[in-house]
Amino acid sequence: MLPELLQGTDAGGFLIIQDSVNYSGRHLLWSFINAALNREEAVHVLGFEVSEEELKDGLKGSHIQRLHFHDAYTDPLGWTDQPAFTVHQFCLEKLTHLIKQTSQHKPATLVIDSLSWILRHRCPPDVCKTLQQLKKGGAVRVIIGLLHADMHQRGIVGSVCHLASSVITVAPGMKGDEAVAKTTKRSKSGKVMQEEAIFCIKEDLTVVVQSKPSHLGSRQTDPEEQETDPTANLTFNLRLSDTERKAKEKLALPFVFSKEKKSALLHSGPGSGRILYEPDANDDYDQEDPDDDLDV
Amino acid sequence: MSVTRVTASMAAPANRVSKPSGERLPFNTTSFQKKTRSKLLSIPGTRPSVQNGQLLVSTGVTSLDYLLGGGLAVGTVLLIEEDRYDSYSRMILKYFLAEGVVCRHELFVAAAQDNPTDILQELPDPILDDVAIHKPVEQPRLSCEPHDSLDAMKIAWRYQNLPKVQSALASSSRFGHYYDVSKTMEPEIRQAAKCHPFYLPEHPTQSSPTHSPMLESYSALLKSLEDVIHREGFDVATPMSNSRNILRIGLHSLGSALWGDDLCCHDNPRHGHALATFLYGLRALLRSSLAVAVVTVPSHLIQNRALMGSITRLCDNAIALESFKGSERETNPLYKDYHGLLHVRQVPHLNCLVSQLPDHKDLAFKLKRKQFSIERLHLPPDLSETVSRVSRGELAGATMVASACGSGTSGNKHLDF
Repeated sequence: MLPELLQGTDAGGFLIIQDSVNYSGRHLLWSFINAALNREEAVHVLGFEVSEEELKDGLKGSHIQRLHFHDAYTDPLGWTDQPAFTVHQFCLEKLTHLIKQTSQHKPATLVIDSLSWILRHRCPPDVCKTLQQLKKGGAVRVIIGLLHADMHQRGIVGSVCHLASSVITVAPGMKGDEAVAKTTKRSKSGKVMQEEAIFCIKEDLTVVVQSKPSHLGSRQTDPEEQETDPTANLTFNLRLSDTERKAKEKLALPFVFSKEKKSALLHSGPGSGRILYEPDANDDYDQEDPDDDLDV
Repeated sequence: MSVTRVTASMAAPANRVSKPSGERLPFNTTSFQKKTRSKLLSIPGTRPSVQNGQLLVSTGVTSLDYLLGGGLAVGTVLLIEEDRYDSYSRMILKYFLAEGVVCRHELFVAAAQDNPTDILQELPDPILDDVAIHKPVEQPRLSCEPHDSLDAMKIAWRYQNLPKVQSALASSSRFGHYYDVSKTMEPEIRQAAKCHPFYLPEHPTQSSPTHSPMLESYSALLKSLEDVIHREGFDVATPMSNSRNILRIGLHSLGSALWGDDLCCHDNPRHGHALATFLYGLRALLRSSLAVAVVTVPSHLIQNRALMGSITRLCDNAIALESFKGSERETNPLYKDYHGLLHVRQVPHLNCLVSQLPDHKDLAFKLKRKQFSIERLHLPPDLSETVSRVSRGELAGATMVASACGSGTSGNKHLDF
């Protein structure tokens, strides 16, 4: 599922890359930026955690001219006179204005690096509201946000992820540059798909999905367990040969009757009846006064 | 002597309040009078409860109706705790609304995430000529019929004709409709129903200067609901006319961050009692109107269990859906036939001290194409009175007798096997 998300085959939505201190999701985020740039889409980056130079250095060799960096790294809280972008400007009007300024033609990709910064300084319901408005509004095609899940309370992470159409949770893998991505994708019809994949990111920011380890480890152990047959070394016979089986079936068990006798015993004859009752609108169910003899 | 109840048992509270004022007829009238229900009860899509005569509407899910004691009583609130991805809770909400469309009830749909008109467009298609769907219990058959394979289980012949145990919950009589989830309802049917949408982002919320425990979004919603109920005549107090109808209220994902509520975000939310206050108001409003509400709440996000408890208490019915999607239970063989578990958190106490409890607590649901069915997870043990067992009262009596008379024969009787 990870390659499809990278290719951006979906009509849009809101994607969250959830990471923790054990493994940074920023390289995967850059891969998403790179993939979007290669598709010749305009990409707007709200950079809180990484400077413009570092990002552009990381994206060497891509079509950087379509990348629009909104610098919130130098002054995220607006302490100087000329802040480029601050946390407090994270609202629908400002962002649509910013995006409309530069890319008029096509809905753009908005990358937020990272949502954690915004969530630290703004109240979560407002952030959720803005994200939902952006998702519904026409200016942005895809929102991709990085979220450091271990920085926030579980409820905040849950609330933000509840809005997302796809969530990729990254964790370190077994070997050096490998990582495990757990992808959850919600389709519009309400269907939920989940997948786990081991991936590594190459120098040119392409993502190579190595395998789909979906419970491979646990499945390998299963056949071994089944191989040990407890009936293998028994001192007595558990099996029947064909002749033995025939002999067994020929034997009539006590109290086994013929079909006719059984049906005569079990089926009640035509003389008996049964009560079928359907409640009716005029039925009166009165628990307090069944006999109607009290002055209620 | 006969006592005729003049007032109609319409909504839950109105019934009880006005009951003592039932007039006694003059002495000379005949005592033989057929008690009939008031004409008011003939609202399409409703029926009186078998247990207590409350006016019920169907939730659109037949087995859920059964679970709730026949249906949702008019004037009550059903709380649905959403599953993690809100797929099944949303489905039940859609069933509830679709049932309203089919019964020509009026709808009120409020949401903050999706536009209510979008939700209405996704309503499932009703199966109106569904004769084949509701099959009677399978005819009992003998296990030694010719087509039976060799390894059919041989059981004692007396038990061979017993009907199969039905694990799906269903009542004997039909109430509500079946829906085909794979298709959406045709626009003509949908548009015939009158709907009042409430989409929070499009709704102007005037910030009130007074300090109130309720959020602006919730008070705007409550105000809008109140308006609709008074304007469209769903108030019980309005003069009786022939065309009474039911208002079905569907409130989606209440308490989520999009309603401006930080209930889901923090352990000690600033607006902790906002939702509870709203539900209190909603319940008070519904008690005096011909309306019934289904509220879904993303309870898996709410960190504070005590607040969730108070929210549950403020609704009449509360059920929780626990989807297997994404949990380790998905691969558990016990649950392989099901999509999730259903927990009954609260059953309504309507005009009584004790309520009817569901007979079984372990419930699971599965969403089939034509039916959302809630089933018993295990086959229940046979607790009927015919089972040979000594009841507790008898046992206590036996020991008492035995202790009184030493080792008498009367005590022995109960110890015999």
